[in-house]
Amino acid sequence: MEKASSHSRRQQGPRLGTGRGGPGVGWQVDPAEGVDFKMKTIEVDGIKVRIQIWDTAGQERYQTITKQYYRRAQGIFLVYDISSERSYQHIMKWVSDVDEYAPEGVQKILIGNKADEEQKRQVGREQGQQLAKEYGMDFYETSACTNLNIKESFTRLTELVLQAHRKELDGVRTRASKELALAELEEDESKPEGPVNSSKTCWC
Amino acid sequence: MVGPEDAGGCSGRNPKSPPVPAPESAGQDGKMIRATGGFGGGVGAVGPPEEGEEEDALPMVVATLLDSHSLTCKVGRRGLSLTPGLGFDLSRGERNWVCVVLPAPEYEARTGRACKPPPQSSRRKNFEFEPLSTTALILEDRPSNLPAKSVEEALRHRQEYDEMVAEAKKREIKEAHKRKKIMKERFKQEENIANAMVIWINEILPNWEVMRSTRRVRELWWQGLPPSVRGKVWSLAVGNELNITPELYEIFLSRAKERCKSLSETSSENDTEGVSIADREASLELIKLDISRTFPSLYIFQKGGPYHDVLHSILGAYTCYRPDVGYVQGMSFIAAVLILNLEEADAFIAFANLLNKPCQLAFFRVDHSMMLKYFATFEVFFEENLSKLFLHFKSYSLTPDIYLIDWIFTLYSKSLPLDLACRVWDVFCRDGEEFLFRTGLGILRLYEDILLQMDFIHIAQFLTKLPEDITSEKLFSCIAAIQMQNSTKKWPQVFASVMKDIKEGDKNNSPTLKS
Repeated sequence: MEKASSHSRRQQGPRLGTGRGGPGVGWQVDPAEGVDFKMKTIEVDGIKVRIQIWDTAGQERYQTITKQYYRRAQGIFLVYDISSERSYQHIMKWVSDVDEYAPEGVQKILIGNKADEEQKRQVGREQGQQLAKEYGMDFYETSACTNLNIKESFTRLTELVLQAHRKELDGVRTRASKELALAELEEDESKPEGPVNSSKTCWC
Repeated sequence: MVGPEDAGGCSGRNPKSPPVPAPESAGQDGKMIRATGGFGGGVGAVGPPEEGEEEDALPMVVATLLDSHSLTCKVGRRGLSLTPGLGFDLSRGERNWVCVVLPAPEYEARTGRACKPPPQSSRRKNFEFEPLSTTALILEDRPSNLPAKSVEEALRHRQEYDEMVAEAKKREIKEAHKRKKIMKERFKQEENIANAMVIWINEILPNWEVMRSTRRVRELWWQGLPPSVRGKVWSLAVGNELNITPELYEIFLSRAKERCKSLSETSSENDTEGVSIADREASLELIKLDISRTFPSLYIFQKGGPYHDVLHSILGAYTCYRPDVGYVQGMSFIAAVLILNLEEADAFIAFANLLNKPCQLAFFRVDHSMMLKYFATFEVFFEENLSKLFLHFKSYSLTPDIYLIDWIFTLYSKSLPLDLACRVWDVFCRDGEEFLFRTGLGILRLYEDILLQMDFIHIAQFLTKLPEDITSEKLFSCIAAIQMQNSTKKWPQVFASVMKDIKEGDKNNSPTLKS
């Protein structure tokens, strides 16, 4: 089992922004300038897989930088915020960036986050499904707050990446684990206040 | 049989600890607790009981004995007083257990002896060296219904017990020494700061232009600026090339407030300007969000905190002053550090001028090709100073942007403890951008051995969240050991040659993002 680094992040600022699950899967709470790194070991098909999660800065300005990281990704979460129409519209631009920068065969999943904020919803579930269908992606509505679909979406993307790398994987099957890099793209449309994200309730 | 290893049920260190079950033993009833020794040396970090202090304030130790009858041991100046709980018979003769509260070294010799009031004076005189209290429960005799201990066994138990006590004592003395050393260093530091402050105020600041680049001042500067003159020196060192006046700040501030108001009033209907309004709105929203995430542990920039509005004002005014740069994440930390050291208008002036330095301008405009040049220059010195680590990073394709972006954007204020970040700022104000990269190399040097053992993700995680126990002495000695001279070239020359090499820029990178 991999051991996370011994020093812990500050957890004060609730940052449920988009796609930010529990600290168990590593979500930043500070304004990010570059990339925030997390890792997690999960088991898929009986194989222990250590996933690297690259949580890229949300501000649009930073995309010149964060685009550079797409090419190192094997799987990408495209995350919008169901309470922000704008973040949803942004997904299309992102998809074209990903197509341009990410390697061939990168696996993508569309995520509509903040599913717990039903009363503020601006993007319908069908809209998400529709867009995902257009791009041939899987789609999940998640909530970092209630942990809805967090584990499922991570497991699913990992499965997809494993499938895409089946050939290489067969070679390493004898080894205990295989490291994958998943990059998470994220739209920073988070709201300033929100329920505190307790580390205990999240998927760990 | 229960030996001394099981001791600890009667803890003087944690007076509020719940009743701790005593070690299991064959004996069932008929015990007598005999308390011995005084209580010297203090409890935990509380320190020794003060003269005249009420005994009620002294710690209470509750021991639960074999038959779960409790006994309250009150630790007073005269030793231990015992209050038996219900069903506890002190009058019975068997003596099976002794609860020993072992304090100052002079008492442990008496362990097991009768209760005597401790001689206060001798215990007091050098308490800083005294170990903290030690407690132990030792089995003295077996219950009467069991065969008595053999002499060897009793001796062995005694010996084991003594060893344990000696070990604890040794440890505590060591800790006390360490504490004392830290205190001494702190005092020394404070004295140095006080002395330096006088020099800065009386000699240097009145003759700033003449003295700023003298060797003596530069050396004093390296030691760290006294907090009372820090803001002043930063202001002077950063300068005011932009000629911003407090009045100008007020103008931009009121403009920012107006814009904020008009946006919140009209944004929903007025969508004609489309993107630009949305962008501006997004950036205002982002400022709000980031303010709450700026030094959250200080609780002064968050909503309702004393500097919340000031931080908001400075960031808002800046976006009006420099719409070409706008608000970029990371700025809130720089503004916050300035606010902690300067008055509002001065903080704004320093902020705007600081961000106008070539390196900061390149980063905050997210001018990727310029950033790459800084990284390339950094790598030249990285390879030169820490070749082994450089190769290690190379083998994982771990490029400097992964850690430098965060460090440079926030000028280390997010990654290092605040006081240490301020010291980095001190020398940054003295030496300019090159010191930011030198600090980065200093950090890598400090943790070189650890980093050499790590793989990509661990390094990335480690460097984006540095250990919190990093000390200024260690870091600055590592920074000092970094040579910023590559054979014959210094930072500016290396940077210039990198600029020449990549004149065309990286074709893979999109042009600088327009604001």
